[in-house]
Amino acid sequence: MTRPRTIGLPRMMKEPGEKRVFLPEFVQFLARCGLTVHVEEGYGSRSGFTFDAFRQGNAAVRQCSRRQAFEQELVLVLRSPQRAEHEWLRPGACMVSMLHFPTRPQRVERLRALGLNAISLDSIANDVNLRLVENMKAVAWNGLEVAFDLLERDWPGLRLPHGGPTRVLILGTGMVGKHAVDAAAKLGNVERYNAHLAEGGPASLAICVGRGLTRQPARMEALFRETDILVDATQRRDTSLPVVPNAWLGWLPQHAVVIDLAVDPYTLDVTPPVVRGVEGIPQGNLDQYVFHPADPAWSQTVPPSIPSACRRSVVSCYSWPGIHPEACMRHYGQQLEPLMEVLAQKGYAALAPAGGYFERALYRGSLQAFLQAGEYSARPR
Amino acid sequence: MRHEPGERRAFLPELVARLARRGAQVLLEDGYGAELGLIPADYAMPGVQFGDRAAAYAQDYVLILRCPADDALRLLRPGACLLSMLHYPTRPQRVELLRSLGLEAVSLDSIKDDSGRRLIENLRAVAWNGVSAALQVLRRTYPGGFEAPARPPIRVTLLGAGAVGVHVVVAATRYADEALRARLAAAGVPGVAVTVVDYDVTAHAAVMRPLLAQTDLLVDATQRPDPSRPVIPNAWLAELPAHAVLLDLSADPYDCSVDPAAVKGIEGIPQGNLDQYLFAPDDPAWERVPNCVDTRHRRWAAACYSWPGVHPRECMQVYGQQLQPILRTLIDRGGLANLNPDGRFFERAIARAQLSRWPPAGPAGPASDLRSSS
Repeated sequence: MTRPRTIGLPRMMKEPGEKRVFLPEFVQFLARCGLTVHVEEGYGSRSGFTFDAFRQGNAAVRQCSRRQAFEQELVLVLRSPQRAEHEWLRPGACMVSMLHFPTRPQRVERLRALGLNAISLDSIANDVNLRLVENMKAVAWNGLEVAFDLLERDWPGLRLPHGGPTRVLILGTGMVGKHAVDAAAKLGNVERYNAHLAEGGPASLAICVGRGLTRQPARMEALFRETDILVDATQRRDTSLPVVPNAWLGWLPQHAVVIDLAVDPYTLDVTPPVVRGVEGIPQGNLDQYVFHPADPAWSQTVPPSIPSACRRSVVSCYSWPGIHPEACMRHYGQQLEPLMEVLAQKGYAALAPAGGYFERALYRGSLQAFLQAGEYSARPR
Repeated sequence: MRHEPGERRAFLPELVARLARRGAQVLLEDGYGAELGLIPADYAMPGVQFGDRAAAYAQDYVLILRCPADDALRLLRPGACLLSMLHYPTRPQRVELLRSLGLEAVSLDSIKDDSGRRLIENLRAVAWNGVSAALQVLRRTYPGGFEAPARPPIRVTLLGAGAVGVHVVVAATRYADEALRARLAAAGVPGVAVTVVDYDVTAHAAVMRPLLAQTDLLVDATQRPDPSRPVIPNAWLAELPAHAVLLDLSADPYDCSVDPAAVKGIEGIPQGNLDQYLFAPDDPAWERVPNCVDTRHRRWAAACYSWPGVHPRECMQVYGQQLQPILRTLIDRGGLANLNPDGRFFERAIARAQLSRWPPAGPAGPASDLRSSS
């Protein structure tokens, strides 16, 4: 593929609550890059956008069927499309999406077999390996916002039984964990925080612990007994073991809320099995992300072999940034603009590891670079 | 950079080589990089020359990490451009001087992307170098042995959850030393618990005093809106255990010449620099703290105006990488005058940091006051 002329924007339809679409200003930006933009019929309708909002009188923005959106030279969609939809792309076309190459070997194999090019948004990184397309801040803030909402509903003004600040225990100090610290200190929402302070509220304390402590049950029990909100923001090296065994949830006060920001799945049919960081909690999505202890989702989504007797209210969502779809897509649009500009000018095949700043970053996110790095061939099948 | 003998930083040959290859004529001050152990041969390449101080400051563009002293600024030619950490928002007198000298400038700390994220920063090094220095002291002062398996978790109280603060959390939970963390974890030594207190909560004595009584390491990473109000008044330091260590990452100065006086976030601790950044409770530096400041309660303190400079080569590698696309854009565009503020990503980022565009258009406020006074 030389310089691309068309781009398709299919809708994301994994669950009804998924409302995210690239915003009209971003669609117009793509058109200014010289691309004819094919927008799937109904794009943005869940958020109240009409086609006219995207088109804005620009003849380079066109409406099309879902299949036609996948048949363009570039296909841009935030979450990876379904397996069958990959086959709609034309050989040599380029899919740009969150493809998670390192953890999705079957997807990589399929893309290769179909002769497709691909750029994984989560692999686009700068010279110091910093991701250029990410919204971890929204993961942390949206999760904390929902948890504080839940706590505040039962305890107005966050005046908890102990009378002190809300104590937020954060497990994991990676990128998400760092944002969680900031969000926890601000009660998950700056407006709430300002109003809370103005009323003389007790505010919050964020307590962070590293791996050295999470492995010591006696120390953790002391911390859990004083915790109002427990945040799992861990990135485990061994996903077959939980960070928080289900029994530990019994140490939390009854009013405590557990936030799942790690969103690892239960995958028990692989060896070794993958279990969730906090054992025995349900996994949510954009349709439902709040689970009270009596919620039927507990027995429906937690495999029977996983201990789940100890329960507290849980907030969990596979796509936390999607809670606030417009803010999320504005953020991604800003991050993507300089990248899409380069991709539109150069085309996938011409991306070089020694090119300019954004070209190098795009190259690192390409399927070609992933395959050449050797990680794929070294991976056991 | 001639700030203190301990300041050893200089841009590394890799960055200089990139500039020269891109077509820039580079003039380095005689002795450039010597404090890092670099010699002229390390910088020897086509397009690179050495010259005296005056010649270095007489170029069209002058790149220096820390802002030079006023006398050095006067060596620049009117119309020349200074690229440096200039901190426009908190240095109105500097802004005034640069303008009066007819200079253009790009403040490295103001180069930001469309979402306001700084592109030239080393806040990670601020946190990691500071925590590392403070823990070196705590390892000596901690009663019963820092590495004793039976000790409780090390208790860190962090003031401020901003951009530096979040790096402190990571650094502290890893002892700012991955090898040490792994060794202690393998030996079953409990780790570190960091309690983060937002700036607005620090005024609550009922929350803070009990917390301080259980603190081994107190870290100030706040960005205060009012420098006359300390985050931790000196009297509160009495609550801390005797072995506790104070770490200042904010680098705010004392200034008794203004009313009300400006004080550091943790009131009373000495101002450090790259020559000395560790202060025992009986260090004479405490006596040099201005008289308007209460210093009665003292603990070991770690304070440095330039924490990243503690590891100068690593620091300059980071800045060099971050500066490459910025300087490349300047060279490719043929200079600042040809930059389009609505142009591509890096053009927009540089334009936001130009002195001639400072303060940015916006609602009336302190920034607007600055403009009207010039």
